[in-house]
Amino acid sequence: MSSVVFEGVTKRFGELVAVDDLTLTVDDSEFMVLLGPSGCGKTTVLRLVAGLERSTAGTLRIGNRVVDDLEAKDRNVAMVFQSYALYPHMTVARNIESPLIARKFIVDGGAPRKLSRSERRERVAEAARILGLGDLLDRKPAALSGGQRQRVALARAIVSRPTVFLMDEPLSNLDAKLRAQTRLELVDLHRRLNTTFIYVTHDQVEAMTMATRIAVMDAGRLQQVGAPQDLYERPANLFVARFIGSPPMNVIEATIGSAEGDPYIDAAEAGRIAVGATVALGQTVPAAGTRVMAGIRPEHLQIAGPGSSAEVQLPTDAGIVATIVAVEWLGHERHVICDAAGTLMTVRESSANRAPAVGERVVLAADPSQVHLFDPVTGERLP
Amino acid sequence: MSLADVIRRRRAREFVLGLLFLLPSLTIFAVFFFYSVYRLVYLGLHQQNRYGTAERYVGFSQYADVLTGEEFRDGLRISATYVLYTVPIGLVLGVLLAVAANRQLRGIKFFQTVFASTVATSVAVASVVFFVLVNPQVGYFGDVRFISLSHTDSALRGVALSSIWQNLGLTFIIVLAGLQAIPDEVNEAATLDGYGPVRRFFRVTLPLISPTLLFLAVVLVVFAFQAFAQIDILTGGGPAGATETLVYKIFHHQQPLEQGTGAVMAIGLFAVTLLVTMVQFKLLERRVHYGF
Amino acid sequence: MRLAAPGVRPARFKTALWYVVLTSLSIVILFPVYMTIVRALSTPAAYFREGQPLYPVGIQWDIFQRAFTEGDLGRKLLLSLLVTLIIVTSQLVTSVAAAYAFTFLDFSGRRFLFFVFIATLMLPLEVTLIPNVDTIRSLGWLNSVQGLVAPFLATAFGTFLIRQGFMGIPRELRDAAQLDGFGHFAFLRRVAVPVTRPVIASFAVIAFLAAWNQYLWPRAVVTEGRWETIQIGLKSLAAARVEESNIGLAAAIIAALPVLLLLIFLQKQLIRGLTAGAVKG
Repeated sequence: MSSVVFEGVTKRFGELVAVDDLTLTVDDSEFMVLLGPSGCGKTTVLRLVAGLERSTAGTLRIGNRVVDDLEAKDRNVAMVFQSYALYPHMTVARNIESPLIARKFIVDGGAPRKLSRSERRERVAEAARILGLGDLLDRKPAALSGGQRQRVALARAIVSRPTVFLMDEPLSNLDAKLRAQTRLELVDLHRRLNTTFIYVTHDQVEAMTMATRIAVMDAGRLQQVGAPQDLYERPANLFVARFIGSPPMNVIEATIGSAEGDPYIDAAEAGRIAVGATVALGQTVPAAGTRVMAGIRPEHLQIAGPGSSAEVQLPTDAGIVATIVAVEWLGHERHVICDAAGTLMTVRESSANRAPAVGERVVLAADPSQVHLFDPVTGERLP
Repeated sequence: MSLADVIRRRRAREFVLGLLFLLPSLTIFAVFFFYSVYRLVYLGLHQQNRYGTAERYVGFSQYADVLTGEEFRDGLRISATYVLYTVPIGLVLGVLLAVAANRQLRGIKFFQTVFASTVATSVAVASVVFFVLVNPQVGYFGDVRFISLSHTDSALRGVALSSIWQNLGLTFIIVLAGLQAIPDEVNEAATLDGYGPVRRFFRVTLPLISPTLLFLAVVLVVFAFQAFAQIDILTGGGPAGATETLVYKIFHHQQPLEQGTGAVMAIGLFAVTLLVTMVQFKLLERRVHYGF
Repeated sequence: MRLAAPGVRPARFKTALWYVVLTSLSIVILFPVYMTIVRALSTPAAYFREGQPLYPVGIQWDIFQRAFTEGDLGRKLLLSLLVTLIIVTSQLVTSVAAAYAFTFLDFSGRRFLFFVFIATLMLPLEVTLIPNVDTIRSLGWLNSVQGLVAPFLATAFGTFLIRQGFMGIPRELRDAAQLDGFGHFAFLRRVAVPVTRPVIASFAVIAFLAAWNQYLWPRAVVTEGRWETIQIGLKSLAAARVEESNIGLAAAIIAALPVLLLLIFLQKQLIRGLTAGAVKG
């Protein structure tokens, strides 16, 4: 049970900067998810914590201890690998036992020592019980299903009673159904163990459903840290805005306009969105003439304008004019993909509505209180 | 202890461990490969007396004499002829056997085991087996003129028979593995394209196993250049030296007086095998289809 | 039904044809072996009097025993077995160690040493024969087990093969072992070797085959009959007088038996070893 603190941690592989000046505190007993596209450096961060890589600069603390010169085995962390990394020639029991064989442990506050055979057996039994592996202890990994292997990997991680759990995309090799179920089990495991989890994934659904907080990374840099809802509602920049949410946030280039003192977002040929003085969650609308990137989540857009192209008026006070290019029906809802003067925008709507037809011209209405404004140059969220 | 110290200490440990792990191999290589190469060159530069008690530096003249001399040329010619007798036929037969046995039939495992069986014979065993067949006095085919061991123009062919037979197992196993590595889809696509079995073999199968065949060709050429036991057992180099391959000659140049010549011939053998192998790769590289 | 029938007959005919082809090829391949057995079992004089028939004449079932008593086959077999076991064991140890160093240890000079290993592959025994025999002679190891095994205690081929296997170990497995606190020796013993066991087994089979079948080297370093391995023993036995020639043939059959057993019981390993490098995928 420890916090993990990064202070200006950088990792270079030759020319490549995998992790760039990372400063981040993972609180004790937190379920922190590192989220980002592949190659963003999130796995490197995990390997730095594990001691499998050495940082180029900066300080890493686990608990209150600086661990930069500690070997992996002395950090008291456990890791669940993407491929599970089970030893193929050992039984499940031996696999679970493997972290207990060579390492020394502090038992009841005494000096670090190796565990006796009976202590090891006891711990393996306990880990197997927690993960429901009792019947499988004598099998080899090859004889297990994907979900069972995953649980063995988890058991191997908990058996050493680590202060920090590291997980590298542990669900990516499971099928969709099992993945959903295992998410719940992981959350439950976290609650029961009450230990710090650092979990790496590129899958935002995993991140949103399990995390206490999410750290979004891109190109080696930390983009934003926060609770899932914060990230969704107040993305700090365009990267986070586009990365979190499915289908992703619609973003359109625009200029702030003003009609009789009322500001509006002018998306040129695509149309305009009328807004008050503030937009999403209290952003101040900048002065007229400022160029911005306006972001609207698909559920905050709706098809307002009716039927055939003849009936659609050109931009009046509010509305984006678009042509429907595709309709994706998902059962409970529908994604309508429209072309608004060259920018593709997605509308998420209930399937109960009348189904629009491909090729139809429509007017899209945006909920003005849910528009996000970003700086077009830096991509940062405007104040 | 700083991070740099940790890393330095670990590297030092791995260096010591690495040397420890490599030392046994390196010792053997030092004595039996690198010292040998030095000795070969050295022996080639010197001439010894009959008892090996005195030697005289003769420089590169010995190299020039031996490499242009009749003995080396004869050995090389006979070795090359041996390659011609054994390699092409061996390859063709190996492909034939593999194609014949690469099909779904009841009991095919039995035939495959039979075809592979000669891999169980050593060169010496194969030579004794062929002793029974081609020996001029007691052989079943001893009086067949084309492979007669008692005539200078045919003896090498008789010896070659045993090599061809002995290599069949290995060739078969490797070609069969090559054939089985061809994805079924490729053959099915060719069939859908309307290719008959013959066209499919030449247009699809053969190009796809060409890397395997190239590998085999190199192996068989090297084997042929190294032929010794079959000659030692079947002909003893005769008649009249007609089957004295380079290796056979090298083997019989171990007396101090002849070691210089033997050493130069060995270097010659090394150069020739290296050259042939390289040429083979260069020539065939363009015609070989790699990777699927 | 009328439509289906014509298709069936040619297929059956084709199958039969393939059996004929396969059987004929088998007969051709096995003929030399068959003749060797016929000749080994026959009484030589009687056999030739009959005019070399395709069946044995004056069968002597005790010929295999006589190969041991009169041909001293027992000692030759034991010597070959001893030499082979020493070579295989040593090659396994040295190759595994070297392969481990080249795969999992990071030290300066590794690339150069790897090149040194490659260089040895280009030098066949035939080339280095003369100086190597000199070396053995000056060590006083002619006609000895040491002399028979010394140059083969290490092999770059085995090192490459096993290194190939080691390189197939996923990085995550190595990471897991590091977190488990396994040092190099523990990782080698508990993970690397067990995981690559199929590769190591294939190599062991091939090494056995090569060592058992050796001819040139024993022929060069053995000058006394009592130090003859089975393979070079075959030469002297086969070259015996006609009346005793069947002893040599019986010996040849016995010499092939261990490898034949290998072929039958360890077919998978043998084939994987023989095809290593030949076939991709």
